[in-house]
Amino acid sequence: MDLALEMRSIYKYFPSTQVVANRRVDLAVKRGEVHALVGENGAGKTTLMNILYGLVKPDEGTIYVNGQEVQITHPDEAIRLGIGMVHQHFKLVPSFTVAENVMLGLEPNSLGVLRKMEEIEGLRRLAAEFGLPVNPTARLRDLPVGLQQRVEILKALQRQAQILILDEPTAVLTPQEARDLFTVVRRLAAGGRTVIFITHKLVEVMEVADRVSVMRRGELIGTKLIKETSIREMARMMVGREVLFRLDPKPAHPGQTVLDVKNLVVAGTGGIPAILNVSLQVREGEILGIAGVNGNGQTELVEAITGMRPVEGGAVVLLGQDITRLPVGARRRAGMAHIPEDRMHIGLNLATSLDENLIVTRYKLPMFNRLGFLLKPAIRQLSANVVERFAIAAARPGDGIATLSGGNLQKVVLGRELTGQPKFIVANQPTRGLDVGSIEFVHRTLLEARDRGVAILLVSVELDEITSLSDRITVLFRGQIVSEMNVAEATEEKLGLLMAGSSL
Amino acid sequence: MTAETRKKILNSLLTPILAVICGLAVAAVLILITGVNPLAAYAQLFKAGFSCAEFKRCNLFTTFQLATPLMLTGLSAVVAFRSGLFSLGQEGQLILGGMTAAWLGYAIHLPPVIHPVVAIVAAMLVGGIYGWFPGMLKVRLGVNEIISTIVLNSIANLFVLYLINFPLRADRSTTAHSLPIDETARLVAFASGSKWGIGFILALLAAVLVYLYLWRSSPGYEQRMAGQAPFFARFGGIPSEQAAIRGMFISGMLAGLAGAIQALGVHYRMLDGFSGGLGFDGVTAAILGQVHPLGTVIAATFFAGLRQGAQVGLQFSFKIPRELGGGIIALMILFVAADQLFRHHIDRVDALWQRLRGKTSMKELS
Repeated sequence: MDLALEMRSIYKYFPSTQVVANRRVDLAVKRGEVHALVGENGAGKTTLMNILYGLVKPDEGTIYVNGQEVQITHPDEAIRLGIGMVHQHFKLVPSFTVAENVMLGLEPNSLGVLRKMEEIEGLRRLAAEFGLPVNPTARLRDLPVGLQQRVEILKALQRQAQILILDEPTAVLTPQEARDLFTVVRRLAAGGRTVIFITHKLVEVMEVADRVSVMRRGELIGTKLIKETSIREMARMMVGREVLFRLDPKPAHPGQTVLDVKNLVVAGTGGIPAILNVSLQVREGEILGIAGVNGNGQTELVEAITGMRPVEGGAVVLLGQDITRLPVGARRRAGMAHIPEDRMHIGLNLATSLDENLIVTRYKLPMFNRLGFLLKPAIRQLSANVVERFAIAAARPGDGIATLSGGNLQKVVLGRELTGQPKFIVANQPTRGLDVGSIEFVHRTLLEARDRGVAILLVSVELDEITSLSDRITVLFRGQIVSEMNVAEATEEKLGLLMAGSSL
Repeated sequence: MTAETRKKILNSLLTPILAVICGLAVAAVLILITGVNPLAAYAQLFKAGFSCAEFKRCNLFTTFQLATPLMLTGLSAVVAFRSGLFSLGQEGQLILGGMTAAWLGYAIHLPPVIHPVVAIVAAMLVGGIYGWFPGMLKVRLGVNEIISTIVLNSIANLFVLYLINFPLRADRSTTAHSLPIDETARLVAFASGSKWGIGFILALLAAVLVYLYLWRSSPGYEQRMAGQAPFFARFGGIPSEQAAIRGMFISGMLAGLAGAIQALGVHYRMLDGFSGGLGFDGVTAAILGQVHPLGTVIAATFFAGLRQGAQVGLQFSFKIPRELGGGIIALMILFVAADQLFRHHIDRVDALWQRLRGKTSMKELS
């Protein structure tokens, strides 16, 4: 067997968080294969890859590249060994051109004077060689995300990467862009390069990988040939139990209109409208899904509805009450709940306790507050209830929440937002970065709320999520609603085209 | 006790203790250079700072007296920092508070008890307003509070200097000062020989109130959340801007109280050089005290003892300049700021603790 890479018995303990991130992990990757590495957030995938790339030093274990034992203490060393990494958050310079980004640090020069033409020519040759067309003189910031990612890949290839690590590469892409990426990945593998593909989307694994290794809580549970496994089996390995994929929601019974957004205009950064004339209604007992590629106004729309961003024009009406100018607190008292896209910085305060995270929306209620003093026993009781009802593993009422996993953090958010008896919930990317087990939990919780009669506005870049939960679907493109349809009429193809800005 | 709480306590205790030890160790080198045995010097320093020979001549009482304004300016910093505003305006608030109290101390005539109470309340109000102002500037106009408070310190200082040099000048003596306050306005000292008195009790009371406010009351909760996680606070519906302004007002009131105590209980008038850096020393006490009222009270007392000890113990006995006291304090702050130096060791101590307790240690997990 021709192994490009072997990691043996890798062990890593982080004393600051008291987490064993890798427990004697053995990983073998064959030359020329696409090897998927899957696992929940916090399963240790990223730590393992950071060890391989020289960003983290393992406590124990050995690494072999092309059969030779190596010590990788620094990314420079990894690059020298032919290991390249495309990070989830691109490490590129937005104001530089494509060529300048790719050649950064390797610029052809004579006595320190850059030879620009040669640089551009070099990039053209590289792009042609791998079939990854880009315009070398375009500014990076003007490119769509899919092309920026291509630049990252080219940058690694320019540095002679034989083993390419892609960290959650599809998280930022449209379905079409993702498909393009898969083609590129397959072509690279066919050309003899080795690709390690980190993801938690199992559908993609089936589509692009030759073999898959599954991690759970720092351990490598197993490695399988794609031909011999299934999504269901991988999910079971990841979570440690059976996972339901399709929740088969009961038919919705929508009632009266709960949220009515009329001709909303919201300014984005730099004064350009981020939301232009958007109107939508959500009725009680239904989920309205808003599909769209990241950065088409989702954040601004949600912030305007929830009161976190001022509105330029139009109106937001909740249960007949005009709330367009009301502050966040008043909207919450009127029955609004909000599951924000960024649970680490917006949805939660990781620096404080579970108790203080849960009362942020209700610390003024007489139940928790007497004459301006917080009633600790009542708050503690609330925490205990939420921990029990939402099965938040490893959380104790008085403790901090900083060490909880992503799934458990989202349960804290759900616990807070749903125990307040809301009439209307805005859920923005509610499963971003979560593992399949937690996704199932979030979806089930939202559907239960819908069945109780809550109106839900679901904003997500995950098409699966939109199509499996929503009763009606709209697409947001460049700040405008481009179409609305019932879930029965929505196909992935159709939505994908609308998300990319084409008309049907 | 959960692993997490234990770690939190360990952390907030070890960082300042290690900083103190490191500060003393580095200062020992400086003492050695002057040709004095550091151990002897430190023995003398701590004796002068923290011992109590007899009731009439008790060094500790003087230390408490010196600690009183530091505690209050420190608490002032705690309240501001906990709402996420790095206010350095204690100096100016203290001077204006002191000026207000001193002026009311001689300009109006009231019976005992009522007189100092009126002067203190007025001083706290003036200090509060002088804190509220940069708070408003920050919230409404986005003016950086570090810069505005420093500038306001200079304005307050120069304004008070003008007052005691010209309109309120008492006499033609070489240093400018105001008229002395009435006997009725004076804060009583507990023992003759020092001016340790009622102000100390007020400072301790303030520490308890600050604790209750920040960690038990809902306005304090608002303020801490807005300080720790501004986006989270806004998301939850906390009126963060009000909370920040309120925090700055309370912060100013505490520094104003410090000024009133200095004017009514120590100097009995307003004079040139009234503060002598009490505002900034309070900020350092708050930082060494881990921005917590209890820690701040302890750190303020410790600083006061060091200052007192450096002056009486080192300067008088060994002819080492008393500025060394300030030097030691500065070194300690440097080590607190560099707490990442210790972080690693704190983790190790924690791991060791766990192993001793027979809990999950690294080896068992493997």
